[in-house]
Amino acid sequence: MGIIKVQPKPLSVSERLYIPNVLKGMVVTFGHLVRNLFNIKKLPLISYPEVKRIYSERFRGRHILTTRDDGTTRCVACFMCSTACPAECITIKAGEDERTREKFPVRYEIDLLRCIFCGYCVDACPEDAIYMTRDYEMAIDTRARSVVGLRDLVVPPNFPVGPMGWRPYYGQIEKHGTAGGTGVGQALRQAPFPDEAPPNPDVFRG
Amino acid sequence: MPVDKIENSGSIIGRKSGVAPGEQAEKGLLTLPGESDIDSVGSGSYLATKVDAMVNWARGNSLWPLPFGTACCAIEFMSMVSSHYDIARFGAEVVRFSPRQADLLIVAGTIVDKIAPVLKKIYDQMPEPKYVVAMGACATSGGFYRVYHVVQGIDEIIPVDIWVPGCPPTPEGLMYGILKLKEKIERGEIKR
Amino acid sequence: MSTLTKFSAIPYTGPAPTNRSPYLPAGVEQIDARALEIGAKIASPDLEHEAGQDMPTFVVERGKIVDALRALRDHQDLQFTLPLDLWGVDYPRRRDVGRFDVMYQLYSLKNNERVRLKVHVREDESVPTSVGVFRGYNWFEREVWDMFGIRFEGHPNLRRILCHEAFQGHALRKDYDPAQRWLLTEKDIAKIIPTIVLPREESDFEQVTLNLGPSHPATHGTLRIVVTLDGETIIGAESEIGYLHRCFEKMSETHTYQQVIPFTDRLNYCSAIINNVGYCMAVEKLLAIEAPPRAQHIRLMLSEFMRIADHIVCIGANLVDMGALTNFWYLFQPREEILGLVESCCGARLLPSYTRIGGLAVDAPSDFLSNAQRLVDKLPKYIDDVDKLVTRNRIFLDRVVGVAPITAADAINFGFTGPCLRACGVPYDVRKAQPYGGYETYDFDVPIAEAGDTNARYLVRMEEMRQSIRIIQQGIDRGLPAGPVIVNDPYVALPPKAKVYNEMESLIYHFKLIMHGIQPPVGEVYFRVEGANGELGFYVVSDGTKNPYRVRVRPPCFPIFEAYSHMIIGQTIPDAIAALGSLNIIAGELDH
Repeated sequence: MGIIKVQPKPLSVSERLYIPNVLKGMVVTFGHLVRNLFNIKKLPLISYPEVKRIYSERFRGRHILTTRDDGTTRCVACFMCSTACPAECITIKAGEDERTREKFPVRYEIDLLRCIFCGYCVDACPEDAIYMTRDYEMAIDTRARSVVGLRDLVVPPNFPVGPMGWRPYYGQIEKHGTAGGTGVGQALRQAPFPDEAPPNPDVFRG
Repeated sequence: MPVDKIENSGSIIGRKSGVAPGEQAEKGLLTLPGESDIDSVGSGSYLATKVDAMVNWARGNSLWPLPFGTACCAIEFMSMVSSHYDIARFGAEVVRFSPRQADLLIVAGTIVDKIAPVLKKIYDQMPEPKYVVAMGACATSGGFYRVYHVVQGIDEIIPVDIWVPGCPPTPEGLMYGILKLKEKIERGEIKR
Repeated sequence: MSTLTKFSAIPYTGPAPTNRSPYLPAGVEQIDARALEIGAKIASPDLEHEAGQDMPTFVVERGKIVDALRALRDHQDLQFTLPLDLWGVDYPRRRDVGRFDVMYQLYSLKNNERVRLKVHVREDESVPTSVGVFRGYNWFEREVWDMFGIRFEGHPNLRRILCHEAFQGHALRKDYDPAQRWLLTEKDIAKIIPTIVLPREESDFEQVTLNLGPSHPATHGTLRIVVTLDGETIIGAESEIGYLHRCFEKMSETHTYQQVIPFTDRLNYCSAIINNVGYCMAVEKLLAIEAPPRAQHIRLMLSEFMRIADHIVCIGANLVDMGALTNFWYLFQPREEILGLVESCCGARLLPSYTRIGGLAVDAPSDFLSNAQRLVDKLPKYIDDVDKLVTRNRIFLDRVVGVAPITAADAINFGFTGPCLRACGVPYDVRKAQPYGGYETYDFDVPIAEAGDTNARYLVRMEEMRQSIRIIQQGIDRGLPAGPVIVNDPYVALPPKAKVYNEMESLIYHFKLIMHGIQPPVGEVYFRVEGANGELGFYVVSDGTKNPYRVRVRPPCFPIFEAYSHMIIGQTIPDAIAALGSLNIIAGELDH
């Protein structure tokens, strides 16, 4: 077991004189200044909003509800997300489609102010219906806007994959499901977390 | 979505050129409710409008924040004033810990019942005009602390101008909130 | 005030627990054998051994607890000198021995072992105070009084510590409605004035009482310190906490095991992943599972990164308090990059909620190791810059050397752990003493200093960052082990989505796990990790349902901040500020 002693050594005469040490410090700070002046491109600064940071494909930002090809919401109002949510910020009211006997959400509301963006709803969803985007510009100026409903959550089937963030985790992929057809779900399922092995398209179609 | 990636070999954090906050191209197809219908500045007599606009412009560009930091969001606030983000570009880098010298109160972090009177007092001490940004889930609504010792949103105690969701919001998220406040002030919507 | 929520206020009323099998810790025979040995060594008072626990556990009679603690502390072979924790548990339905358990946990630096003492208390009974044996138990006993309403006979200052003075009832009792709030009014605030015991000395100066905080730039977070000055010297001080009491322990009881993870993030928000790991490993111990090697490897590397980030915040903010603003910017630069690495793993910068019980939420990205290597290459440069600017700078040294020192004996008596204890010369580090998660296979040193003052704490933290870099470098060199990142146990971990969509069985498991949660066996367990501030322990009681029956976090800041008001006596206000920064008090963890 290694133990090292960090012990302050007594100061030398020059160090006790203040000035030389202040100058030494100046060398460090001016070194930074000069280096930065000649290396503007390497500055750590991100001049938001002209320059934006690229967050990863796992970023947990605002939620969206995906749709099937025919434009219906993929959500089947199973209440899994609202059960898994530690902040209890999801309110769902379920209804039944007269024609297809499918359950669907009549009301689906997320209180963005309550939400803690933990991603548990995405993990819990068995239908690929809820995803998170990379949108972090959510500040609002009236409290009434904080609750977002179906109108603001549901995205059309051609929603681009670009701004997508946290998404269901497919684990070590062997084969990919056919549940849910095409649309965002499919586009995304072809691009799960980009670092995972891409799904085999043949299996996907079969 | 075209992304112009900006190379920076000194950092593992990627960058891209951005567009104005909230613009469609950046967010994909997302809008917040009512985001598109923003009222223009109301009419008035020419001179008064100009003076008002001038004053509002000055106010919006010299927000001196008082970070009432209690918890995690305060650490994100520290990130916002450190090397990677530069709030000084909007004239808001003069962090004042004295309420007498500040005009923007950033409530960053959970406000519990025990500290609520303190927050109220600090707000009362600030000179007019004063603005309040509630940062993060806890300050805006109590977040997931629906519990016996946590204030369920600081608007129980003091008026709030901007709510910033997130737990904690990213520094950009907060900067977006401050920019939004700035716009709001410059449009003359907040009159104190 | 009224109830706030639709779910939180309701105690668990779901399906009856399916898992009622008792928890049996690994190596229970050795633990029981050792417990009997310890019990035999203590002649009086009589320690009644409770078998089947994860550490030697004794039930002590209520009146004899002080003698038992003293005997354990003073015994030559045992030397349980470090008071780790004191907490309560409420069993309202237990009729025979009383409603409450008051638990004591001690640690022996000599033998590297722990012991737990239990006292059964009825609702109308009180416990003699143990402040005379361990000074650090002062605040812990106040907390138990505040949360459970158990009186401690003879306690010098038994009043509420976390909740405010207008609060009624005791929050952690099982029959307390979690959402029942009490408003604090201006009138009640007057009651929270701390009492300061002053030495009766004649002085030429007028005595002034000064209030620092709770909103003060130097109290990072929300701490309140009331000091009495004689001229410029502090002659009396008392700290008041609870300004960030977010009721972590009560919230844990109303949420499922999985849902508690985001709450643990917000304990020590500067190094959130360490909290995640500590809590998850506690529950994993209860479930008798182990995270796969790949998950453990990633957890360990990110923990070390977070430790560096935490020390950066501590040192940076401490130096800002002393007027050295440049270092703050130099240090926050690599910190932002570390958070960028965390974000690339799990999508959130500061509060990642990355771990799950049984492993990790997702695998690390493919460029994880290369990015980590880039960071490790860059980090020493920034640390060296600060080293050059500050460590040998006389202006800095004049402000920190000999400031707010604490002796090793005092620090142990208060229950210090972590860098603050190591700065006093006690090389106690959980990663070395009781390694977990693979730390035993890594080669690193434990830095200690002797002076125990602000400078020593600064030096220890600086060296710890270097050691963490060493650990991470070894982690990168070994590479990530292949395999999954979460256990393949459908009762613990959600099946991968690909399976959920294809197999009926997996879908059912998925549904069961979300709706009914993880249901560990009935029992109690304690697990500790080395947090950035010291030993971070989680004590979890399970009753077999999906919600933890009780989660107790052992916050390392708590005893450290308790000692603070003793450390600054005889110092001046600027010195006290410098010392406070060097202790790294994180309010979220302090007030849980």
